[in-house]
This record gives sequence, C-alpha cells and structure tokens, in this order.
Amino acid sequence: MSIVASTYKPVGSGRHEFLKHPDELPGDAVRSVLKTALLLSLGVGLGLGSAVLVLKSGGLGAGMGSQTVDGWTGNHLTGAKAADPYTRGIVAKSGLLALTQAEAMYFSRSTDEHGGPLKPSCVYALEGGAMPARWWSVTIYDAHDFLPVNGDDAQSVDMTRTAAHATPTGRWTARIAADQAGAADWISSKNAGNFSLTLRLYNPQDAARANFAAIAFPTLKTVSCTKGGA
Amino acid sequence: MSGFFKSAALVVVTAVIVHLAVILATPNLIMGVALKRLSFGEQKINVWFHGPRTTEASRTVVRPSPDLAYSSCVYDLSKGPVRIMAAKAADYMSVSVYAANSDNIFAINDRQAPNGVQLVLVAKGQVAPTGLGTVVHSPTLRGIVLERRLAPSAEAFAAAAGARSSDVCAPL
Repeated sequence: MSIVASTYKPVGSGRHEFLKHPDELPGDAVRSVLKTALLLSLGVGLGLGSAVLVLKSGGLGAGMGSQTVDGWTGNHLTGAKAADPYTRGIVAKSGLLALTQAEAMYFSRSTDEHGGPLKPSCVYALEGGAMPARWWSVTIYDAHDFLPVNGDDAQSVDMTRTAAHATPTGRWTARIAADQAGAADWISSKNAGNFSLTLRLYNPQDAARANFAAIAFPTLKTVSCTKGGA
Repeated sequence: MSGFFKSAALVVVTAVIVHLAVILATPNLIMGVALKRLSFGEQKINVWFHGPRTTEASRTVVRPSPDLAYSSCVYDLSKGPVRIMAAKAADYMSVSVYAANSDNIFAINDRQAPNGVQLVLVAKGQVAPTGLGTVVHSPTLRGIVLERRLAPSAEAFAAAAGARSSDVCAPL
C-alpha cells in the first residue's frame, strides 16, 4: 500500500489515517501538489501545442468552414465578423487584415497535383484563363507567410502581366521554379523552402462568391524535379 | 472515479481550456502586435503611413501582396471621431477598417466611391458628425484603416504613391 493511499484512507470515525501519522503529512502533501502541478502542466502543454498546431495547420483560407476545390482552399468567412474562432485565429496568423469576400477572396495551396509539398527543387506549370474577378494575382509565400528572400523580384503573377503573354482565348501559363529559364511569366521559388501559393480575387463575381466550385481555378502541374527533390 | 481517470480528466479539461483560450485570444494578440508595428510604437496614431513598395524585405504584416500599394492608419477614437479621406484612383483601390479584434468591419472600393473615399470613424457613444462622409461605427476604440491601391509595376506604384499623397487620416 502506498503512502498516499494509506494516508488518505478514511476510517470509521470520518477521521483520516494521516492524523495518526503527522510526520508523514509534509512529504505526502508535497507529493500531491507535485502530481497536480505535473498534470496541470501536461494539460497546459497539450492545450497550447494543439492550438499552435491548428493555427499553423492551415494557410489563409483555412478554418472550420473551409472548402478545397482543385487543390485551392478558401473560406467564405475569411475576415468576417461571423467567422468561427478557428477561422479567425488562422486568418490572424496567416492573413491578418484580410478582406471579407464581399471585396476579395483568398485561396491557398501548399501541395502539388499529387498532394506532395511544393518545393524549390521542382518546376511547376501554373495554367489558367480568365478569372471571375476584376483583378487577380497568384503570390508565393515561404513557411513563415512572407515573400521568399532570393533577390529575384519575381514573387507573383497577376492579371495585368499575364495578359501580355496570354493566348487569343485568354489562356496563360506561368513557370514556378528556382530559375526563370526564359519564361515570360515566372514566380521564383528560390530559397522558398516548402512554399505555398495564394490566389487573390478582387471584386469577385457573385457566382464565385456563392460557390467556389464555379471558379475555374488555375491548374498546377509538376514539370520536373531535380534528383532527390521530388 | 479511479485515480487514473481523475488525473486524465484533469489533463483533458486543462488542455481544452488552454486550447480554447489560445484560439480565442490569438486575433487580439496578433492585432496588438500589428497595432504597435503600424503605429511605430505608438508614435503614429491617427495619421496615414504610406508604405514603400512591397518586397521580400517586407515583414510588418504576413502575406503582403507585391502587387498592391499599402497605406495604413492606426486609429484611436478615445478623444473623438477620426476622419478618413482617400483620393480617387484610376484603377482598383479600397479602404477597409479593422477593429482591434481583427474583424474587417467596413470596406469600400473605388467603384463604390468613384470620387474618392470619405469616412468618419466613431466609437460607441460618440456623436457622428454629418456631411463628412460615410459614418463607420467601430466596436473598439482602436483599430487599423488599410488602403490598397493596385500597383503591379514600378510605374503603377509611382502613380499610386502620387494619388495617395493627399489622403487624410486625422482627428476631427
């Protein structure tokens, strides 16, 4: 029988065993306090860790009401007063000062067409056409939600620049890679680590706001990967 | 209830409480950091700060767009309403207001305000003046006004910078 069990075992009179052994009290009390503190610390650690994991797990567009279409994840409640606490927390962490979808819509993706992470060691082709918005852009961000530091000044493509190189039907292609290799529209992934892309649609059309599935999202295809980087 | 289950319950309940507290507090905590950064340590309150072109060195707010020219004004309504004016734009421009809990409480763009934006920010209990523009009621005394102007090139950024030079963020 342990000291704890023997100490707190009630006796018939309602008194406790420890009253019979006052010399055991300090050690037992300390043990009990330490045990409680340990359990509380464990709880705090689990609570803090799980919260941080949730906040880091989703990019801008994630949250309880998020939807993923063609690899792009968005949320109707981004920036809204009606957003759930998880959406609000994720937006604050990954997209502070985002607009509501009445003004702009944000979609993010951090995986390729096979579900693998986006890497600088791979070359990707981003292809699309007209978007249901007044203006759109696709921007690269590193794991810390900032623009990659590489000196290339090629962090995005947008409607105005791709229009200059689009086909007569409005189709455009952008290269996402660590090197430009002559591409007219290029997003540099040099020094980006595992990265993500954010699609912004400013002044989106009503149909796009109502239903993400109505949006013809740009498609992402892996062109090649260097050895060991696939 | 056995000692094991009591211990497990204590851990789970504590974890849930801490988890929810962190999730709920995150927007306010991060906005607090943004308010300090964008006010340059409380030095620039109720005045526009016109940011330089967004580059890879930009670290004030996460996920900045390199295709937009940003201006920000940290507002403080503790001494009365604040007036916001943004000059008209030839291309996309918007002015949005964020409360201290990160909610986007108001937004207006150049199509809705083709002659420029005129707002008056007021706190609860303050009298809203008339004739100075759209009245925006802020649920918090402090917050951030953010202006975005389309600027996907150096030339477009220069044009946006010229247009916003006459913008106003000032106490009434």
